[in-house]
Amino acid sequence: MKKWLALCFYFFSTLIFANSNTLNVYTWAGVIPDAIIQQFEKETGIKVNFSTYDSNETLYAKLRASKEGRYDIIEPSSYYIDRMRKQHMLEELDKTKLIDIANLNPELLNKSYDPLNHYSLPFIWGITGIFVNKPFYSPTTIKTWSALWDKQYANQLMLLNDSREVFAIALKKLGYSTNETNPQHIKQAYQQLKLLMPNIKIFNSDAVISILIDADATLGMAWNGDVFKAQREDKNLTFIYPQDGFVIWVDSFAIPKHAPHPENAYRFLNFIMRTDIAKQIALDNNYPTANLAAQKLLPNAIKNNPTIYPSHALLKKGEYQMDLPDDVLTLYENYWEELKMGGMSS
Amino acid sequence: MKSDRSFKYFSLSITWFWLVIFSLLPYGLVITASLLHHDSSHLMQLPFTLMNYAGLTNKLYLTIFEKSFYIAGSCTLICLVVGYPFAYLIARMQHRFKNLLILLIIIPFWTSSLIRSYSMIAILKSKGLINTALMWLGIIHQPLPMLFNNFAVISGLIYNLLPFMVLPLLTNIERLDHRLIDAARDLGANRITTFRKIILPLTMPGIISGCILVFLPAMTIFYIPDLLGGAKSILLGNLIQTQFLVTQNWPLGSAMSILLAIILAVLIALYWYSTRGKKEKDLL
Amino acid sequence: MIARLSTPTYLTTIYLFFYIPIIVLIIYSFNNAQFSLVWHGFSLHWYQELFKDRDLWVAVWHSLLLGIISATLSTTVGGLAAVSLYRYKFFGRNLLYALIFILILSPEIVMGISLLMLFNIMKVNLGFWTLLFAHITFCIPFVIVTVYSRIISFDKHIFEAAKDLGAKDWMIMRSIILPLLWPGLMAGWLLSFTLSLDDIITSYFVAGPDFEILPLKIYSMVRLGVKPEINALCSITFMFTLLLVVLSQLLLRKKS
Repeated sequence: MKKWLALCFYFFSTLIFANSNTLNVYTWAGVIPDAIIQQFEKETGIKVNFSTYDSNETLYAKLRASKEGRYDIIEPSSYYIDRMRKQHMLEELDKTKLIDIANLNPELLNKSYDPLNHYSLPFIWGITGIFVNKPFYSPTTIKTWSALWDKQYANQLMLLNDSREVFAIALKKLGYSTNETNPQHIKQAYQQLKLLMPNIKIFNSDAVISILIDADATLGMAWNGDVFKAQREDKNLTFIYPQDGFVIWVDSFAIPKHAPHPENAYRFLNFIMRTDIAKQIALDNNYPTANLAAQKLLPNAIKNNPTIYPSHALLKKGEYQMDLPDDVLTLYENYWEELKMGGMSS
Repeated sequence: MKSDRSFKYFSLSITWFWLVIFSLLPYGLVITASLLHHDSSHLMQLPFTLMNYAGLTNKLYLTIFEKSFYIAGSCTLICLVVGYPFAYLIARMQHRFKNLLILLIIIPFWTSSLIRSYSMIAILKSKGLINTALMWLGIIHQPLPMLFNNFAVISGLIYNLLPFMVLPLLTNIERLDHRLIDAARDLGANRITTFRKIILPLTMPGIISGCILVFLPAMTIFYIPDLLGGAKSILLGNLIQTQFLVTQNWPLGSAMSILLAIILAVLIALYWYSTRGKKEKDLL
Repeated sequence: MIARLSTPTYLTTIYLFFYIPIIVLIIYSFNNAQFSLVWHGFSLHWYQELFKDRDLWVAVWHSLLLGIISATLSTTVGGLAAVSLYRYKFFGRNLLYALIFILILSPEIVMGISLLMLFNIMKVNLGFWTLLFAHITFCIPFVIVTVYSRIISFDKHIFEAAKDLGAKDWMIMRSIILPLLWPGLMAGWLLSFTLSLDDIITSYFVAGPDFEILPLKIYSMVRLGVKPEINALCSITFMFTLLLVVLSQLLLRKKS
């Protein structure tokens, strides 16, 4: 009994004293390797409390439901940067405190979800495209999203379990924007997706890589970073940039309003933007880095690989995800629910 | 006499204190939220309204409820049928290592359910253990589709919820007086009658407890069906989750979970009153 | 004859059902592949990775601590509650039933967000304490239901008899009720510990930045595909608890 009390006391005392020089970082899992965090701690003497979340939605819900002033660094995707900045949940960045901002890839800066990057700095990015497992289907026959509707793919496809991403492919097939708000167009996309349902085997956004490698699904949609990683264990996996358009996603760092340790947050951002650090991170998490200076230092096998770093021409067909008004989101979600409940095999 | 009442007050006040602060207050917030408005710039705001509840009378939501009910119900039923004999056999054991056997039931569940679900995927998939074994033995020539369908979902739920059926049953069946069974046999009853008239009624509280602890969580769980079912249908858990996270319509999500509570409370109350009447007749 | 064979067969089958996914989990911790769920050969790589991962072990320790404390406290409160509900008639009894029912029935996300809002209003900082209160809260109904299912089989006359003999309530509690309830309390403790170790959504909302627990870490890793390093961790903790439990049972047997 005494031992427990002693241990509890130890932990509570560390909790009290820990508040001196700390930084609360809250990001997606697996994007910042432990070694980098430890290096930051060693170089600056700041203790990092590193927590992770599994989706933008849970990050947002937690920030909305709690009083402000808990996390210093967060890493939302583009459409949530859009939403959060409109709802005044982010601190405006003091550019004078950011040193290596020139390292960032200008193609990813100044987008409509955060004009002039007043609130966010891109960190990693990617593309949602088509993956094919070569022995099963020839990649040359599949050039657009429309190709997935072919009846020969019955019960073969894997789609991401995300309503906006899935609607995006139907919207692109119809020639509309992935950020469509017109209810008529959304309805048409829904009708297209109804026709696609018999082809779908799995909806999944987690552990996509194991599905790719074990050929549980041989065709479908996936992020280019995941396909790149899967290619290491199975060279047959191919990534295709659909010619009718695709979604570009960007995860950026931002500082929430009333962050408890803003000075430390800026030190962290500067650390992350350093060329050598960004390069290390890119090599570890295998996602396309938004740091152009670091990208140039990557080994040829990676930086010249079109799966992970597409050419400027290819990138032109992509669209960034923007925030949508709640009533439009509700419309998408309602159709999404109808889609899923309209029929499930067995 | 004094310490009599002081013990009663002590235990009651702790119970009340905890439940009022951590059950009543938060739920009060949920009830309040369900009566508020929602729009793009505010998660929840006045004025009060009943429109969230009105919005629930929707054919789609009914379908989702039915499906969740079907899956949770199947899972509970199978857990009961499988778990009851198991609990019975262990509860009535005189074995030296009975306690060890009971602990062995629960130790596997101290590993993460997510990891165990991935294990199940590794077992059930087309290139998984069962299919590989069956094909190697020549029993089948095409892999059986055991994953990404209802079968996988219900199996996964049963796997994760079975201890919640077994443990309450176990502690209840242990109290069963063997002499009652002996007396029944002496009076000429066969096994089935003994079970029906003696064992079943006396273990009914354990059965009800087990069913409650399995059915209620099964109605709102979502990540196991998503993982094992390929996320091809939407269950109540997903639906409520979506309201809070994606469409950020917290009032609607709150209304949904309150309506769910009301429906299930009514069902349980109905069942309770129906068995109450039966019990008294039996005792007579 | 059939009964003699069928009992061990049935029991073994059920235990196998419980344990085969665990065995598979352990086997895959040696899998020589990062993402595939198909066997690719033996490797100790993941165990090596595991021993280098400091944060993961801290999370394990936190989860264990949280689990043990919350299970113990919720068993205490839940046990008292179950006994009170059974023995005493008091004002608001049905309300209490309703409050317990609400807790079991609330979807985790509703509980998580409502508790978070409550902690906000109470101006409590998120961290160990908020996690603890949340865990105790959702464990209590499981303890109450389990203990109640045992206590209801008691002869009410025991209490009257003891009272007639002059025993005070506290004495009755200690020497009569507690020993009889013990298996129910143990079962309640075990269920609570299990629930606490694995709780994800509620914990997500009430957790603070400086007290990381294991299920959150694992859950947030699923987007990338959980590394077999986690399998290695689960295998080690599983073997460790198995060993602990078996040893303790053997030692207890020896004593008595």
